[in-house]
Amino acid sequence: MYKKLSFVIAVIMIAAMILAACGTSTSGEVTAADCGKEGVFCVGLVTDVGKVDDKSFNQTAWEGVQLAKTNGDVDWIQYIETVDSKDYDKNISTFADGGYNAIVTVGFNLTEPTYAAAMKYPNVKFIGIDQFLSKDDTHPDWPLANLVSISYNEDQSAFLVGALGAMMSKTHKLGAVCGTDAVPPVWRYGEGYKAGAAYADAKMGTTTEVTVVYHSDVGFDKTFTDPTWGADTANSMIDKGADVIFGCGGKTGNGAVDAAANRGVYAIGVDTDQYYTLPEAAARMLSSAMKPETEPVAAVLKLTADGNFPAGGIYMGPSGYAPYHDLASEVPANVDSEMQAIQKGLNDGSIKTDVPPVKPSE
Amino acid sequence: VKRLKELLNSLLVPLLAIVTAIIIGGIVIAVVGGNPFAAYLGLAQGAFGSAKALSETAVWATPYIFAGLAVALAFKGGLFNIGGEGQLAVGAVVSALIGYALPEWLHTSIPWFIHLPLTVGLGVLGGAIWGAIPGALKAYTGGHEVINTIMMNYIALNLTSFLLNGPMRDPNPLNLSAKTPDIAVSARIPPIFPGLRVHWGFVLALLMSVFIWWLLQKTTLGFEIRTVGANPDAAKYAGINVKWNIILTMGISGALAGLAGVIEVTALNYRHELGFSLGYGFDAIAIALLGKNNPYGVVLAAILFGAMRNGGTRMQFLTQIPVDIISVIQALILLFVAADAIIRFIYRIRPGEERLVLTRGWGG
Repeated sequence: MYKKLSFVIAVIMIAAMILAACGTSTSGEVTAADCGKEGVFCVGLVTDVGKVDDKSFNQTAWEGVQLAKTNGDVDWIQYIETVDSKDYDKNISTFADGGYNAIVTVGFNLTEPTYAAAMKYPNVKFIGIDQFLSKDDTHPDWPLANLVSISYNEDQSAFLVGALGAMMSKTHKLGAVCGTDAVPPVWRYGEGYKAGAAYADAKMGTTTEVTVVYHSDVGFDKTFTDPTWGADTANSMIDKGADVIFGCGGKTGNGAVDAAANRGVYAIGVDTDQYYTLPEAAARMLSSAMKPETEPVAAVLKLTADGNFPAGGIYMGPSGYAPYHDLASEVPANVDSEMQAIQKGLNDGSIKTDVPPVKPSE
Repeated sequence: VKRLKELLNSLLVPLLAIVTAIIIGGIVIAVVGGNPFAAYLGLAQGAFGSAKALSETAVWATPYIFAGLAVALAFKGGLFNIGGEGQLAVGAVVSALIGYALPEWLHTSIPWFIHLPLTVGLGVLGGAIWGAIPGALKAYTGGHEVINTIMMNYIALNLTSFLLNGPMRDPNPLNLSAKTPDIAVSARIPPIFPGLRVHWGFVLALLMSVFIWWLLQKTTLGFEIRTVGANPDAAKYAGINVKWNIILTMGISGALAGLAGVIEVTALNYRHELGFSLGYGFDAIAIALLGKNNPYGVVLAAILFGAMRNGGTRMQFLTQIPVDIISVIQALILLFVAADAIIRFIYRIRPGEERLVLTRGWGG
């Protein structure tokens, strides 16, 4: 028995050594061991509970880090995938203790651990994604000199697709199926959508009826993960005549987008260009309200590596709308040029959405 | 010498299962393009390489020990408790509620030597009741505990979701997640060393394993539990109250699983939130099997699982090998322990001991 065992082990060791030899990198390349040395810029990324290939937030953030590496702005990148929320602190400090210069933390749930780590490691730069902080009793020292949150004007992205929907609708009825409005970005999406439709009405002389439904009747664990409710709500909107459906809120919104595509009306996605992430709805995907992560993450990393870390606590990411893809032939030229004009107006400030950052309390 | 040999014999299959799983895991790592030696070195460093690493391993092992003991004790009584997850959630919710709300209800602060025992005790009671209900269903109606504990899991998890989103949700307007307010300082179990997260709950877990061993081996109750587990008909003939014994076994098992949740709340997180405890109750089944339902075996298995979970971070940090490999290795260990015929075949070990009865059929 022991003979056999040692034989098995020997075979495996040899196999592993051969494989290891193949994988050994040539000398001169930067490795993790160089982090903390002068002139080497290392970036670590900590995911929320999830993977770097989740086709969502974790993935696009990691792509941003990879882009910074490809551009040559940073020397070494590495990620840690969180498996349990009690490991947030440990995962962040693994990078900080390893001499990393900048740490990207992805997702709302890492807000507090990131703030705490930024206080503990003043020499490390922290970049939080989807984390909302302001000066208050629990964060008296905000903004910190080494912590920045990448934020977005969701209302502007939704304003664009709202205007597009209003110009494309034949029934002049738009629907939006969203997660809970207790999350400020979701509320900004919903309000921006309405404001965009109203802007298009004023421009085109139409009257569009906009229905925005938030899934606020359930808990936070369900509100973004309820595609059945999303589909049902979208279907009832379509039954009432809506021919453009904006799905804004994780899987709940995806359910609405799928339902819209099934019924053959226009579907509008959210956050990323969902033409790619929801292939079953791609044929009816008019556009998506974009909140691109990849480029801003790479941009902030470049600033950080150059010694121009964006202070002030917040870095505004760009807003925009996704291409029409398969439906490009259905979008009239005047609508397309109007869309470009609105995008330009939002960028230079001549058009305002008039949506406040958070929902005014009743 | 004979006892030592017996001990080694009983350890042989689990140890070979671990070794085989690690070897196959190494092959998987090599196939996906990693270096297995670097990966396992990182794993070991992350789990045991520093004071902080040891502390985090203990933190991970603590709920595993309690939940593993819960499953092992039920197995000894011939019951398969899959409800650890639900019992853990109930324990956590109750202790969080007592931890933050009791001072508010009484409009005064409470000294820790009253508040902490109440917080822990009521949380454990909650877990015990959650475990005893399927026990009673089994005893009086014959409803199988496997089905009923799974049902109770759903009730517990949805109830937790309701409570954390509704009545027990942290009312702070800045709070956007489903969590309770922090528990009072008087309800917290402190860390053992300043600067490290390892807490007295780990020590309690070790003591608990001694206590459970003593309970099972040295007391009348333990003898009755084991007898009912080995042969309920004979137990009944011998005058043991089998029905009451089943309820009691499930109650104690639920209390232990509840304690896993209580300790996570009072000693680590200081609040309860959704998303915590994903699968401890299920990992516990693997730990009980690997530990051969022996309380000390459970401790060793729990530390092994905790070390792998904790060391996985450093392994990924050093080698970028996906942490999923840990789940692969754990699943392989479980496979080899449960289907020990595979291990016996590979290493040509003769079956020595009698087979362990884990659970019985309907109404058995």
